[in-house]
Parts: sequence; C-alpha cells; structure tokens
Amino acid sequence: MAGGAILTAVAIGVPWFAAVTLVAGVTAVTRSQPRVIGFAAALISVVASLFLLRAVPAGESLKEALMVLFSCLTLGATLMLPRRDCTSGTIGGILFLLGSTLLAYSTDDLRILLAAWIVSAVPFVREQWFGAATWRPRLGLLLSSAALAVAVALIAASGGTMSIGGLNRTSPGGMAVFGLLVAAVVFRKGICPAHAWVADAVEGGAAIPTALLLNGHFGAMLVARLIVPLFPNTARDLFPLLSYLALATALYVAIRALTENSPRRLLAYLALSQSACILAGLESQTMEGVTGALVHWIVVTVSTMGLFGIVRLLEVRFGENLTVARHLGLAEHAPRLAVFFIVFGLALVGLPGTLSFCSQDLLIHGTLASHPLTGLLLPISTAMNAVSVFRLFSRLFLGRRRTGFTVLADALPRERWILTAGALFVVFGGLFPNAIVARRAAEAAAVEQAFRLPEGSPDTVAKPATSYRESTSGFFERTGAVESVP
Amino acid sequence: MDFTQATLVFVVLAPGVVFGVLALLWLLGWVPPERVISRITGWMFSASIIALLPVLRSLAASGAPAVTVTFGNWFAVHDYRFPMVLMADRLSLPFLGMTVVLSGLIGRFSVTYLHREPGFFRFFLLLHLFAFGSLLAFAAGSFDLLVGGWELVGITSVLLIAFFQQRTAPVENALRVFGVYRACDIGLLAAVFAMHNWAGTASFAGGLPRLTGYRATTVCILLLLAAAGKAAQVPFSGWLPRAMEGPTPSSAIFYGAISIHAGAYLLLRVQPMLVQSGLASALVISVGVATAVYGTISGRVSADAKSSLAFASLTQVGVVFVEIGMGWKWVAVVHILGHATVRTLQFLRAPSMLHDYHQMHSAIGGETSEAGGYLEELFPERMQLWLYRWALDRGHLDTILDRFVIHPLMRLSGFFSGLDRMGLHRPRRERGEVVVPVSSAAPRGARQEGI
Repeated sequence: MAGGAILTAVAIGVPWFAAVTLVAGVTAVTRSQPRVIGFAAALISVVASLFLLRAVPAGESLKEALMVLFSCLTLGATLMLPRRDCTSGTIGGILFLLGSTLLAYSTDDLRILLAAWIVSAVPFVREQWFGAATWRPRLGLLLSSAALAVAVALIAASGGTMSIGGLNRTSPGGMAVFGLLVAAVVFRKGICPAHAWVADAVEGGAAIPTALLLNGHFGAMLVARLIVPLFPNTARDLFPLLSYLALATALYVAIRALTENSPRRLLAYLALSQSACILAGLESQTMEGVTGALVHWIVVTVSTMGLFGIVRLLEVRFGENLTVARHLGLAEHAPRLAVFFIVFGLALVGLPGTLSFCSQDLLIHGTLASHPLTGLLLPISTAMNAVSVFRLFSRLFLGRRRTGFTVLADALPRERWILTAGALFVVFGGLFPNAIVARRAAEAAAVEQAFRLPEGSPDTVAKPATSYRESTSGFFERTGAVESVP
Repeated sequence: MDFTQATLVFVVLAPGVVFGVLALLWLLGWVPPERVISRITGWMFSASIIALLPVLRSLAASGAPAVTVTFGNWFAVHDYRFPMVLMADRLSLPFLGMTVVLSGLIGRFSVTYLHREPGFFRFFLLLHLFAFGSLLAFAAGSFDLLVGGWELVGITSVLLIAFFQQRTAPVENALRVFGVYRACDIGLLAAVFAMHNWAGTASFAGGLPRLTGYRATTVCILLLLAAAGKAAQVPFSGWLPRAMEGPTPSSAIFYGAISIHAGAYLLLRVQPMLVQSGLASALVISVGVATAVYGTISGRVSADAKSSLAFASLTQVGVVFVEIGMGWKWVAVVHILGHATVRTLQFLRAPSMLHDYHQMHSAIGGETSEAGGYLEELFPERMQLWLYRWALDRGHLDTILDRFVIHPLMRLSGFFSGLDRMGLHRPRRERGEVVVPVSSAAPRGARQEGI
C-alpha cells in the first residue's frame, strides 16, 4: 500500500518538480535542454505508472491504466514537439498538465480531484502560456470548474466523508449535485451546446498541449469514477438523456466538420465527435458499450495526439496558414508524414486492422442495444467523420506538387520513431485486441455493475467475478458471470 | 489444424503479411526495387493458387460442405463474441480462386504497365492489401469478419482511385467514392448488429443465423443497401465512372472483376434468407433491372473506353442481381466468374486496343468504319433526344444525390458553422485561412529555424 503511494507520488511529483525547475530556469541545463528534462520526467512517470498498473488486479485498474496512457502520451508529446515550440515554458506546461492529470486520475478525495481539475486548466486560461485569444475556452473551462466546485461544496455541506469510495451509492447532495456534476462533464467535454470552446482552444492555442488537455478526457473520467458509482439510480434513470445528448453531439460536430476549412478546427471537431462516442458508450449501461468506450478512449487518445502532432509539424515546415480549401500536395515533400496521417486518421474512424475497429464494433453494438433508433446516429456520425478524415488527408497531402519547395521535409528520425510507435500500437492492438479488450472488459464490468446495484448499500462492493482464461486456441474467453459479492 | 486448413490460412494471410512487411520496411527507409517487388508478388500469388488446390480436392473428394478453420474468438465481451472463423465452401471457393488468379495476373501485367511509374511501390502495396481484404471477405465464416475484409477493399479502392495524386480530379473523385462506400456500409453494420440482437450470432460457418419474417426482411434490405453501394447499383451508380480515374490494372481488378462482385457475393451468402422474403427479393430484382437498363443506356453515350467498359460491367452485375433475386444461385455464380474473366481481359486490353485502332485508322487513310444500326432508332425522335440527354448526364443520379443529399448536408453544416460563430470575432488564425496560400518560400529556412 505504501509502495503504491510512493509510486503515485513519484508519478505526479517528478513532472511537477521538473516543471517548476524548467519554468524557473534554475540551471543552465534546464534552460538549454528542456526536451531532455521533459522526456526524462515523463519517462519516470510512465515507469511508475506501469509499476502501479502491474500491482492491481484486472477490474480495478481503470485509474492506473489511464495514468499509464496519459504519461505515455506526454512522453510522445515531448519527442514530437517541433524545435520551435520546445521551450522551457512549453515543456514545463506539459509536465505541469501531466502531474495535474495523474493527480486527478489517482486521487480518492473529492477536494484533491477538484484542485487537480482546476489546476490542469490553468495553463489554458492564460494566453501567455497555452491559452487561445478568444473568450470561449476560458468560459468553458471556468464553468466546468465552477460546476464541479459547487458540487463538491454541496457534498461537503451535506456532511460525511469526502472520499469517493466512501460515498459510493449514497447519492450525496441529491439531484442538485448530480446535475452539477453532469454540467461539469458537459462543459469540460464539450458536449453540445457547450462544444464551441474546444475548436476555439485548438484553433488559437498551442496545438500539442491542447491535444493533451482534451485527451485527459476528464469528463468521461468523472462519469466512470464519480457519477455512476455515487448516483447509480439517478444515472440509470437519467443517463439515456445524456446519452442522446452525446450522440447528438457526435452527429452535430460530424456535420459541422464537413465544411470546415481550417485543419486544426476540423481535427478538433473530429476529436469531439469521437469523444462524444466514448461518453455515449459509457452511458449505454451495457457491457459491450462500456468496454467499447474504454477501448475507444485509448484509440482516440493515441490517434488524435498523432494527428494534432502531424498538423503542427506541417505548420512548422510549410507555414501556419494551412487550409483544407484546396489541395496542397504535401505528400510529395513529406511522404511518411502523409502515411502516418492516414493511418492515425483511419484508425480514429474504425479502419479494420486497427484497434478502433474493435472499439467501434463494441460501441455500435452497445449503443444500438440500449437505444435501437438513436444508436444509429453513432455509425452515421462515424461515417461522416471518415469522410472528413479523408477530405483532410486528400486536401493536405494530395494534389499538385508545390514548385519552389525543394527541401524534403519529411519526418525527422525523432518524430518518425514516436509516430511509428503510435501507429504500431493502434495496428497491433487491432490485430491482437484481446489483451486490451479483456482488461477493459473487466474494468467495464465494474462500471456496468455500479448501475445495477441499489443505492444505500455502501458495504456492498461491486466486484466483477468475471475472469478471462486463455482458451485452447490461444484466445481469451470469458468465464463466469458478473456478480456482486459482499 | 490439418494440411488443408493450413493451406486455406496461408492463402488468406499471405498477401496481408507481404503488405505488412513491405510497409514496415518502407517506414524504416528501404524502398525495394521493382524487380524484388515483382518477384515477391509473382511467387506469392503462384503459391496461393497452388495452395488452393488441396482445398478444392478436399471439397471434391470428401463431399464435406466446407473447409473450416476456427481460431476461437478474436475478442469477447459478455455475451458478444467476435468469432474468428475462416471457411471455404462451394460458394466462397470460386471467389477465392478468382481473386488469387486475377490478382496474380494483374500483378504480372502491372510490372510492365507501371514500369518506372513513381507510384510503382505504392500500387503493389495496395494490390496486396486489396487481395488480403478480398480473400478475408470471401473466406470469412462470419459477417463480423466479412465486414473487416469489406472495409479493406473499400479503402484500397479509394486510395487507388487517387493514385495519380498530382491531378485534382482523381483525388476529388476518390473522396466522393469513399463517401458513398461509407454511407452504404452503415447498412452492413446495422445488419450485423440486427443478426447479433435477434439470432445471437452473425456467424454462418454452421449455417445462416435463423431469422424469419420481418427480421429476415430487415436484415436482407440492410445488406442490399451495402451490396448496392459496393456494386454501384442504382441509385449509387454515379461513383463508378468516377472510379475510372485510377490506373487501368486497378480498374480491371476492382471494377471489372472482384470489388464490383463483392456485393453480389454478399447477397449470395444470405440467399437462403433472401428467398424467405418476397419483399427483399423483389427489391433485389428491381435494383438489378434498374441498374441493367441504366448501365446499357448510359454506356451507349460514353466517349471513353474505360467508362464504356464500366457501364458494361454495371449492366452485367445488374443482371446478376436479378438472377440472385430470382433464386438462381449457381447461374449467378457462373455468370460472375465468366463476366469477371472477360471484363478483366477487356480492361487490360483497352489501352493497347485504342493504340491498335489508331494505327489501323492511319493505315487505311483515316477512314472510320461505318457504325451499325441502333435499337434506339425504334423510338420517336423526341424520346431519343430525351434519352440521349438522360444518358449523357448519367441518369441524373449524381445530380439527384447532390441536390437531395449533399447540398442539404452542406447547407446544414454551414448553418451549424454560423451558430458556432455567433457572438464571436473571427479568431486571428482564421482571418487568413481562405485567401492566404501555403507559403512556398518560408519552408526553405524552416529546417534551420526549428523543425
């Protein structure tokens, strides 16, 4: 137990310490080698998170898995940042975000969760750091933080513990707190009608750090870790509404993306649409849907990070005014970036042979099972997103070669290795999905089980009795049913 | 796994493995020379053809209904399973054979045809991926797995349409085709879900999921939507002439031989379910008749060889749909095999045939041969004119699609865009997006400044 606390402290504390060192510019090394410092700090977080993940059984490892995912993502970001962006301030901000996100994932205390939620948004509120010039991102982040703060205050006012585990199935604060938590999710996740701030943040802010902020998926985390366990009955009754809203968001932004000509905004809409699918899956209350959502979480995170990174690399090479209004023919100059882009893009929208094919398959089955008619919006929005991905790819990379540009500006070895690692992950994850799906299924069983348990039974622990054994054919098979044990 | 099963697995996986290895080597910085690619392709497809012989012998000698290889579940969650079953039965074996033979043939042809073409390596990479997708779709023992192969065929088709990426038209046409594919594939996804929901499985290795009544009709209609999209049947036929922008060998393999018949294979696979539903059968026949008539009339006004062949393909596939709707399963299978073979030959011969005609015309002093009579002459002149206009605009299918689907969707998107911008000054970055081109001078120093 103490070992776990130490590892958690290392995973969170090292990036924070490195961030402070970088921003303060304490030594010459921190000023001259920010990428090395950032890489080392993120690597330590990855290793610590991996040890944490190894120590917990399947079914109880959601937060540890998320910690590994986010620290790996940050590690990749430190490598992918173009030299122009790789300042002490940027790397420091990214590490600050890493520490805050891991704190939010790992904590069991509502007050600490609130603090991490607010702190993680700080770099994106300040225009001098990663913030956009427009007011909507600030308002979106402010409203989500305010909603969560009021909810936590109401829970505190109702007396009792502030531990998430201790509040399980007690509906603390009743409908008011439930509504505020849902509002926090809607604002932070960019669910319609509060979606516009995300595109503004991506458009006007720093691309890679903003992608990291979005890929923290705090809204989905709040649903899986807080709303469902604390308010199972209310969630069971009212989640269909939120699910419809998520599906409507997925479709709305998918349609919106069809005419968007700014690559960054278009990518933001794609990311929003696919993120809304995650929420729809979590709220489907089916094992397939919840598992699909958790797997899709990984896919969206890795793919969008790769896509935002590639767009930023293109901006650095070819100018910041990239447009989708005409064909730019960049594949001639950057063929490998083109291939990585189409792989990540199609992986985002369910290309067979990638992990998203499995996650989309599960998501579609889960949402159609819970909402047979509105569930159809999910494959429709995914089809539209696929068209937008291909449009973005074809306009950026295909078309007549740009005369006057003679330098081959393809991915540098540093960028190539990290993009290859990401591409291999989504491809091998798709070819051999069971290692990932089985673990997520065990975690999904806990989330799905929380819906089933009656409120007011705090001593009952929702523990999935599901286990996965390797069958004779080498594939995993599920044995036993999910049940509640005292 | 016995020898026959192993050969079936080899046939399906070999092109996928070749694709994966070549792609990885390219990412690591090695582009194999043309001779290496040509030899690997030749050996691989030759070995695949030989490997199919034991499967054929096993089905013929033992009288077994199918050679089946079960790998368990690819993944499983709760009651939902994704079965990993490969199967070669009397329906899929002809399609598997057609795929490996014609893909090998196209590979051999393309070695010469695309010699020193900048996209030589890319073409062969996509040919292998396409062969893998097709073989996976035809050898799938469940609709879940079939979807995987189906989608791979779609994406390779689109990437090959955009093969000549320097020109805008192929790239835009590829986007259009991709849109139609994805829209119609929703039917396949919904059908698979319906089978899981109603029958508990989408596997057909041990017989089709047992569905009757409105459930069978619903599934068949959803599958018809997917099949019509892939086979360019009315009302989705508009994409086929656009797809002719790709290189001739890819047009031959996709739209003369394999991809165009994948929709027919899907309907043949559910034929026992189809015969239970009068409504679905009638729809299949109607779509087939409409496409055959559309194809033959539009083909008559086509000015280029490849589009004419594409419309001829469309006509024949329409007739195949009619045969399937009528329940003539084996007539349809024989028709598909014959048509695919002849049409591939015609597509591959088209460029040299035009060259031959030009030579012949020059030799006889530029005189063109007298055209024969036309059946259209039997119609009144006004109707001939109307038909001519109708055919010239390809049945107005693209216009209808534009007017009633794409334009409203774009207008809706524009309306949403207006909503999103309410109360907001345009951000700094957007002010330049419409008019400012990508700088061609700035990047020269970009590497020094901070890539």
